[in-house]
Amino acid sequence: MVDLVISRHRPLAVLAAALFAQVLLLAFQIKRDHDVRLIRYWAAAVVTPFERFGTWSLSKVGGVWTGYIALHGARAENARLRSELAQLQLRNRELESEALEAQRLSALLNFRETHTEAPLLAAQVIGASADPASHTLVLNRGERDHVRRNMGVITPDGVVGKIVEVFPTTSQVLLMSDKDSGVGALLAETRTHGVVKGSGDPDPRVDYVVNDEKVHPGEMIVTSGEDRIFPKGLLIGTVASAKDGNPFQNIRVQPAARLDRLEDVLILLTQQDLSEKKGSETADSAAPAAKTSGIVQTGALSAPLVRPATSPGTSSSGANGSASSPIKPGAGISPAVSPQPQMSAPQN
Amino acid sequence: MSYMFNPGAQSEANIEVHKYYSGTVVAVCFLALVLQAFLHKFGPWAELVDLPLLVTVYFGVSRRNPVSGLLLGAAIGILQDGLSHDNPIGLFGIAKTLVGYLASSVGARIDTEHPASRFALIFLFFHFHQVVLAATEHVLLNHAAPFFTFSLLWNSLATAAFGVVLFALLDRLRRQS
Repeated sequence: MVDLVISRHRPLAVLAAALFAQVLLLAFQIKRDHDVRLIRYWAAAVVTPFERFGTWSLSKVGGVWTGYIALHGARAENARLRSELAQLQLRNRELESEALEAQRLSALLNFRETHTEAPLLAAQVIGASADPASHTLVLNRGERDHVRRNMGVITPDGVVGKIVEVFPTTSQVLLMSDKDSGVGALLAETRTHGVVKGSGDPDPRVDYVVNDEKVHPGEMIVTSGEDRIFPKGLLIGTVASAKDGNPFQNIRVQPAARLDRLEDVLILLTQQDLSEKKGSETADSAAPAAKTSGIVQTGALSAPLVRPATSPGTSSSGANGSASSPIKPGAGISPAVSPQPQMSAPQN
Repeated sequence: MSYMFNPGAQSEANIEVHKYYSGTVVAVCFLALVLQAFLHKFGPWAELVDLPLLVTVYFGVSRRNPVSGLLLGAAIGILQDGLSHDNPIGLFGIAKTLVGYLASSVGARIDTEHPASRFALIFLFFHFHQVVLAATEHVLLNHAAPFFTFSLLWNSLATAAFGVVLFALLDRLRRQS
C-alpha cells in the first residue's frame, strides 16, 4: 500500500524534495551571507573554458572578417581615393600657379604704384612667334588700349623689348634678344654708350664699344634714352663677358628680365623718365636700389619727358626689319613715331 | 486534477514520448547556459531571451517525464544561479524546478508540436517563471521584485518567438523511433 502511494505520487514527492532542498540551501545562504562558494566555483570551472573558447573563436572570426572579408570594398575605395588624390594634386597645382601669378601681379602692381608719374599699362603674354628664330611675343593689349608701335615693354626686372605690331586687341613685342632688335644702352660705371642688339641667342650683345674702354663682367647696363623708346636709366642687364674684338669689343649681356619666362609685362605709354622723382640723385647712389627695382638712375636721369621724333623712317631700326643698319650711340635706334595725343605724358 | 499530480501515468499511454541521442539533452542544456553567460557580455539584447528557460520547457514537454523534467530544471536553475554573481543558489533553481515539472505535466496532456501552442506555452511559462522568482525573493529573501512589467511582457514575447524557432531546430535532434 505504501509502495503504491509512493509510486503514484513519486513525481510529486521528488518535486517536494527538490524544492525543500533548495529552500534549505537558500536559508543556509541567508544565514551565511551567500557564502556557497563551492557551487559557484564548480559552475564557473565548467563554463569558463567554453566561454574562453567562444571568445577566442569570435576574435579569430572577427580577425578573418576584418582582415579579409570586410576588405572586399578596399579596391574600389583605393581607386576612389587615388582619383581623389589626383584631383587634389591637380587642384594644388592650380593653386600654386595662381599663387605665382598673384606674386607676379603683385610685383607689377608695386612697380606701377612706385612710378605713378609714368603711364604704364599692364599686359599679359598670350602667345609667341611660330618662328623659333624670331623672338617675339603677343600681348593681350592693342589699339583699343592705346598701344602704339615702338612703345617700350618692361617688367619690374628690366627691359623686355618694344611693340612692333599693333592690332585692335593685341600687339606684338620684339624682344631685345631678337637679332632685329636694338636698344640704346649705357654702361652704368664707365658711362660708355653702346647698342644692345639681339644675336639670335638668348643673350644679346653690346655693340659699338671700342676696345679701349674698360668693361668688366657684372657691370650694369641701362637704357640711354637715345633710342627714343625707353626712358633713360632702365636696367637692361649686366655684362656677362667682355672680350676685345675687331673693331669693337664683343660684350655679352645677361638680360635682367627673364625673357624666356615672361607672363606679365608693362607697356610704357610714354618715354617720360620713370625715375623723375629722384631727379637730383646720382647714379652711384641709386645703383643699389636699381638691383631690386629694375630702374637705374644715371647722372642725367632727371631729364624731362622725351618727346618722340616727328616722323617715322628718319632713322634705321630693328623694328622695321633693317637689322643691318648700324645704330650708333647718340642717335635714335628705332624710328620715332608720331605721338598720339592720348599717349602723351603730361608735361612737367 | 489527479493528472496534475501524477501525469506520467497518462502521458505514456496516449502521447508519444520523444527520445534523444545520449548526451543530447545534457549538451543542449549546457550549451544554453554557456551561451546565456557568454552572450550577456555583448549587450543587453542577450537578456531578452532566457535560453535556459527555453530548453527546460522544451525538454519538459518533449520527454513528458515529470521527475526528469523537474530534475533537469533544478540542475539548469542551480547552474544558472552559480554563474550569476549575486543570485543566491536556488533562486532560479526553484523557479526552473517548478517550470520543468509543469512543462512535463502539460506536455503529457496537450499538443505541444504546433508553433502556436508552443508560443503560448513559452509565453505562459515565462511569466510563471517570473512569478515564482518574484515570490521566492519576496518570501524567502525579503527582496522587492516585480511580478509583471511591460518590459517583462516584451521579453516574454521575444522569448516565445525565439523559442518557436529554437524548438523547431531542437526537434531535429530527436531520435527517430
